[in-house]
Amino acid sequence: MQNNHHSGHPNSTAMNMREKEKYIENFNFPFCEEASKYQKVAKIGQGTFGEVFKARDINNPKKYVAMKKVLMDNEKEGFPITALREIRILQLLKHDNVVNLIEICRTKASAANRYRSTFYLVFDFCEHDLAGLLSNVNVKFSLGEIKKVLQQLLNGLFYIHYNKILHRDMKAANVLITKLGVLKLADFGLARAFSTNKNGMPNRFTNRVVTLWYRPPELLLGERNYGPPVDLWGAGCIMAEMWTRSPIMQGNSEQQQLTLISQLCGSINPQSWPGVEHLELYKKMELPQEQKRKVKERLKPYMKDPYAIDLLDKLLVLDPSKRADADTALNHDFFWTDPMPCELGKMLANHSQSMFEFLAPARRATQINRHHAIPRPTTSAVQDSGYQDRVF
Amino acid sequence: MPGWYFDKQELKHTPSGAAGLDYKTEMRYRKEGARFIIDTGMKMDLGYNTTATGVVYYHRFYMFHSFQQFPRFVTACCCLFLAGKVEETPKKCKDIIKIAKALLADNKFATFGSDPKEEVMTLERVLLQTIKFDLQVEHPYLYLLRYAKCLKGDKAKLQKMVQMAWTFVNDSLCTTLSLQWQPEIIAVALMYLAGKLSKFEVVDWVGRNPAHLRWWDMFVEDVTMDLLEDICHQVLDLYSQPEVKSSSESPPPGASRPAAASPSNQSTSRQSNGATTSTTASSASTASSTSEKTQISPETVPPPVNTRIPPPSDVPYPYQTFTHAPPPISYGTPVSFAPPVNTPPPLLGPSPIPSLLSAPPPNAFPPFVNQPPPFTPVVPPPNASFFGNGLPQGHTRHRPPFFPP
Ligand SMILES: Nc1ncnc2c1ncn2[C@@H]1O[C@H](COP(=O)(O)OP(=O)(O)OP(=O)(O)O)[C@@H](O)[C@H]1O
Ligand SMILES: [Mg+2]
Repeated sequence: MQNNHHSGHPNSTAMNMREKEKYIENFNFPFCEEASKYQKVAKIGQGTFGEVFKARDINNPKKYVAMKKVLMDNEKEGFPITALREIRILQLLKHDNVVNLIEICRTKASAANRYRSTFYLVFDFCEHDLAGLLSNVNVKFSLGEIKKVLQQLLNGLFYIHYNKILHRDMKAANVLITKLGVLKLADFGLARAFSTNKNGMPNRFTNRVVTLWYRPPELLLGERNYGPPVDLWGAGCIMAEMWTRSPIMQGNSEQQQLTLISQLCGSINPQSWPGVEHLELYKKMELPQEQKRKVKERLKPYMKDPYAIDLLDKLLVLDPSKRADADTALNHDFFWTDPMPCELGKMLANHSQSMFEFLAPARRATQINRHHAIPRPTTSAVQDSGYQDRVF
Repeated sequence: MPGWYFDKQELKHTPSGAAGLDYKTEMRYRKEGARFIIDTGMKMDLGYNTTATGVVYYHRFYMFHSFQQFPRFVTACCCLFLAGKVEETPKKCKDIIKIAKALLADNKFATFGSDPKEEVMTLERVLLQTIKFDLQVEHPYLYLLRYAKCLKGDKAKLQKMVQMAWTFVNDSLCTTLSLQWQPEIIAVALMYLAGKLSKFEVVDWVGRNPAHLRWWDMFVEDVTMDLLEDICHQVLDLYSQPEVKSSSESPPPGASRPAAASPSNQSTSRQSNGATTSTTASSASTASSTSEKTQISPETVPPPVNTRIPPPSDVPYPYQTFTHAPPPISYGTPVSFAPPVNTPPPLLGPSPIPSLLSAPPPNAFPPFVNQPPPFTPVVPPPNASFFGNGLPQGHTRHRPPFFPP
C-alpha cells in the first residue's frame, strides 16, 4: 500500500505523483467524454469566464453545439464555485425557454497541460443572441414577433423563479434565439438559488451582480435581501430595447446608473418607494429629487403600442415589491390582444448568418446617439465596465 | 446515464478489491473516510447537508478508483472541499488541510505529499469527472423531517424517535447505504428502526387511506420488511464493529482489535428485537469510550465521543449524533422539546436547493401557449404606428390556466 510510507521520503512521494499522473492520463472516465468528440467551428463569444465556441459533433455532423470553456487559470480555490453553480442550476432547469446543457466535456490530462484537464460546458447550439439580432438593422421584428420574444422570455423567467432560481444577469446578450425562433435564457454563471425566508432570516446575497445597465435600483442601493424582481427589471430593460434597439440606460458608474434611472422612472424616495430609506446606500448615493416619472413619455416615440407601454411601465417600477412578476406580466393584455404573439421562424429564415453580440461589437453606441429621447451614453469602454463590475 | 446505486455484489467488486484490498478493509476505509469528513466538517462548522454531500461523493469516487491509488484522507478532504462549494458553504482549501493536519497522525498526513493543496486541487478534477458532475445529492434528512410531520401519536415520543432516526441517518453515512438505496428509503428504514428502539409505534398518520398498511406506504413503494431490516442492520453493524476511534488511529489492515460487541451479540441483534439491539449497542458504546481514553496520544486531537453536526437554525428537533453508539434510550427522563411536532418544520434546509424538490418535474411544465396564434408576421414599415386601441383593462381574462386544477 503506497499510503503506508512515511513522510520525509520525497522520493516515494514523487514516485507516487508520477504514477498518479500516468493513472489520471490513462483513466477513461466513463461519464465525462473528451472534448475532441466535437470539432470547433468558430469562436462566438468571450465572456468573463472564458470563451464560447461553436462546434460540430464529429459523430453526428448535423449536430451543432456551443462549448463554453471553464476558465480555471487564476483559481486559487480549484473548480470555480460560479461554474459549479451554473452546472448545478442548468442540470436542474429543463425547459423550452432555458438553454439546454448537454454534457460536460474534458480535455485529456497530459504532461502538456500539467495533468490538468480543461472543462467545457456543452450546450445545444442557438443561432443568435438577442443583442446580436438587435444590433443588425436588417432584422426587423413585427409587433407580434416582439410579443413572442417577450412572452418566451417571461415564460422562462416564470419557470426559473418558480424553481427558486434567480438569473441575476439578464441582458440581451444572454438571451439566445434559435433559428426556429425559440428563445432560451442563457448564462447562468451568476444565477443562484434563493429561498423565501420563512425563518425570518433575511438573505445576504451579494448585490454586485447584473451588468450595470440592467441592474435594478435595489441592487444599486445595496439591497442584499433581493429576489425575482431583480430579473424583471432586466426584462423591462430588454423589453424597451426591442424597440429602441439599444440598452436604454447606459450608465458608466453605479451613481450615474441611479441618476439615469431616476430621470426615467422618477425620483427615488420613501414616497415612491416605502422603505427605500433603510437600504444601505440610500444616504450615500446622490438621488436626484423632483424628477417626474417619464417612462411612458420617453418610450412612446419608440413603442407605439399602448399595451406595450403599459406593460413596460409595470416592469420598470422602482419599488421591487410593486414591480410586476413574471406571472402578472404574462397575464398582461399586451400578450392577449391583436396582433397576438407570432412565431419568429419565418422572419429569421431570411437571415442565414448567426448574429451574436461578440460578432457585432460596434453596435449600440452608433445607433443610440440618434435617439435624442434616450440619455447619451458615455461611450468609452462602457460595456466593459459592466463586466468588470461583477464580483463573486 | 449511470445510476449511482449498486447491488451488494457490485459493492464487493470494486477497484480496490480488484487491486487486492479485502472487503472488510475497504469497508473500514470507507467508514474512516466518512468519519473524517464528518469530523472535519464539524470542526469547520459545516452543516449536515454539506458533510453528507461530501461523504456521498467519497463513496461514489471509490466505486471507480481504488484506495490503493488514491489515499483516502486526501480524497476525503477533496470531497468536503467540493461539497462546501456545491452547498454554498465554501471553505478554503488550505483551511480544510489545516484541520486535516490537526486531526490526522503524521504518517496519515504524509499521504498528502509535499504540496497538500496541489494534491487536493489535482484530485478535484478527477473527482468531478468521476462523479459525472452530478453535484446535486439528496439526503435522508429532508425526508425524515417531511415524513415525521405526517405521523400522529404521543408528541414527546415522536420527537424522541425523530431525534434518534436523525442520528442513525448521520451514522448511515459511514456505511455504503447511500450507494444502495434512495434517501427516501433510508429515511423510512431508519425511522422504522428508531421507532422500534424507542418503542414508538405509529398507528395513525395524516393522509392515511385504506390501501396503506404501514405509514411509509404513503411515501415509498415496494419496500419489504426484509429490506428495511437489512438497511437497519447495516447501520447497527457499525456499532458492533471494532472501534475506529479517529481517522488517525485506525489499526493497519488485518490487525484486529478486541471487538466491542461479540459476534453472538451481533447475531442476537439480527433478530431485530429492539431491547436486545439496544443492549448490544450500549455495551459497544461503553467499550468505545473506554478505548478512546487509553488511545489518546499527545500528537493527536481526540475526537469528541459524541459527534454533533450542528443543526441548521430551522431544524426544530434537537439531536445528537453518536457515530459509535446509538443514542442512549432512557424512557424515564422526559425530555422536553420546544416546538410541537405538528408545527411544520421548515423542510427547506440551509442549502438553497432543496426547495426545488417541491417543484413539479420540469417536463410537466406546460407552455403558456400551446397553439401558435393564427397570425402571420407582419413586418412593419419604419416608424409605423403599431396596432392598438384603448388602454388595457388591467385584469386578466384571456390566459388559459397555467396549471391544471
Ligand atoms: N448555447 C449557445 N448557443 C449559441 N451561442 C451561445 C450559447 N451559449 C452562449 N453563447 C454565446 O456566447 C456568449 C457568452 O456566453 P455566456 O453568456 O454563457 O458566457 P459568459 O462568459 O458567462 O458571458 P458573460 O460575461 O456575459 O457572463 C453569449 O452571449 C452567446 O452569444
Ligand atoms: Mg453572458
